[in-house]
Amino acid sequence: MAQPLKPFDYFEPTTIEEATQILSKYGTKAKVLAGGVDLVARMRRRQAQPQYVVSILSVPGLDYIQSDKAGLRFGALTTIRSIELSPIVEKDYAVLYEAASQIASVQVKTMGTAVGNLCVATPASDIASALYALGARLRIVGPASERIIPIENFFVGVNQTVLEPGEIVTEVILPSPAPQTGGAFFKLVRTASDIAKVNVAVSLTVTDNTCRDAKIALGSVAPTVFRATQAEEALKDSTLEPKVVEEAVQLAAQEAKPITDLRSTVEYREEMVRVLVRRAVEKAMTRARA
Amino acid sequence: MAEQIVKFIVNGKSYEIPIEPQMTLVEVLRDKLDITGTKLSCGAGECGACTVLIDGKPALSCLTLAITAKEKNILTIEGLAEGGDLHPIQKAFIDHGAIQCGFCTPGMILTTKALLDENSNPTQEEVKKALAGNLCRCTGYVKIIDAVLAAAEEMRKGGS
Repeated sequence: MAQPLKPFDYFEPTTIEEATQILSKYGTKAKVLAGGVDLVARMRRRQAQPQYVVSILSVPGLDYIQSDKAGLRFGALTTIRSIELSPIVEKDYAVLYEAASQIASVQVKTMGTAVGNLCVATPASDIASALYALGARLRIVGPASERIIPIENFFVGVNQTVLEPGEIVTEVILPSPAPQTGGAFFKLVRTASDIAKVNVAVSLTVTDNTCRDAKIALGSVAPTVFRATQAEEALKDSTLEPKVVEEAVQLAAQEAKPITDLRSTVEYREEMVRVLVRRAVEKAMTRARA
Repeated sequence: MAEQIVKFIVNGKSYEIPIEPQMTLVEVLRDKLDITGTKLSCGAGECGACTVLIDGKPALSCLTLAITAKEKNILTIEGLAEGGDLHPIQKAFIDHGAIQCGFCTPGMILTTKALLDENSNPTQEEVKKALAGNLCRCTGYVKIIDAVLAAAEEMRKGGS
């Protein structure tokens, strides 16, 4: 039941330094506000009751999508809608485009930031799966230091990340895709705006008919999004013949550790991992060879 | 935390009022400013009834802290008609019977405006996708989609 919000102290820092200082001072009693679609909804349901809300909306320079030869970068305030509407994302980072275009509603995407979605650390994050497949790294700024980590090292468990009190994810960094790389994203949902029962993001690099690199990320089938590394290994250095793809499909289903909940069952999710990995690998393969 | 005086610009008109930081935009609009066309239903970002446009972009006013909308241009359903003439989207909703109980209508119409401002000639699929975040519990979706397509056609002819 959504209720009016309980009182809190509100801060509106205008620099990252100031924001990290406030956050480290108040620790777990403080929450970062960006788009608010997750935080305010949880506050209304009394699932989060921060005493301090630190808005980063007035920090300049956090809302951008930049691309160059090295790759693509976007900031902490870049909305999912901006990513969906970016021509460069649609053209060169199709996995991310396909994930962004299938998420939630226009309103939620217009308010919600991609980085905020990561920081919520839902196992069902479509953005996270896409970013795993694209080899993303995250820039994390704290009061005294800054670090850049691979996205695989960011999630600890359901709603848990490696962020220390005072730390903010300020940027997502994607490498430029290697030549002859293709990707695909698929998910299953109850309704268009619900979160995924299963999501799959795949990126393949195929030269001389041989798979040089493979990334297969799965969402909603473990406590965090993860990469099905055994399935990836099965594809690597192969010619992606049907027998090999089938082996990868079976391995991916074994690597998944789904649960039964209101959206789906263990058995169905395992079966759908097979179906979606097969489809995503086949589509990524076609795109890599195009 | 103490109240602070915040300036809101709603439908082109300025209001400077004291608010507390925990107030959401829909509460300020309805309870402080008495602009009640914006509806509060689920309060969880699921239904879209509370949709308003902030600087032209669709936002869920139930999940927006009012203080974050200060000094931005907020458009509610009351601000759509000009000088007593209904906006073509409003007119199309009436002409196509796209209103049953009417509770979802302000959100539907503002989401439609955001769509048509961005894409003046949407396909039926694009309309469905754009309106996926607005629920109509009377389930009158077919008429709503007809109305949006008709409004788009009318606006392309120069209706607005």
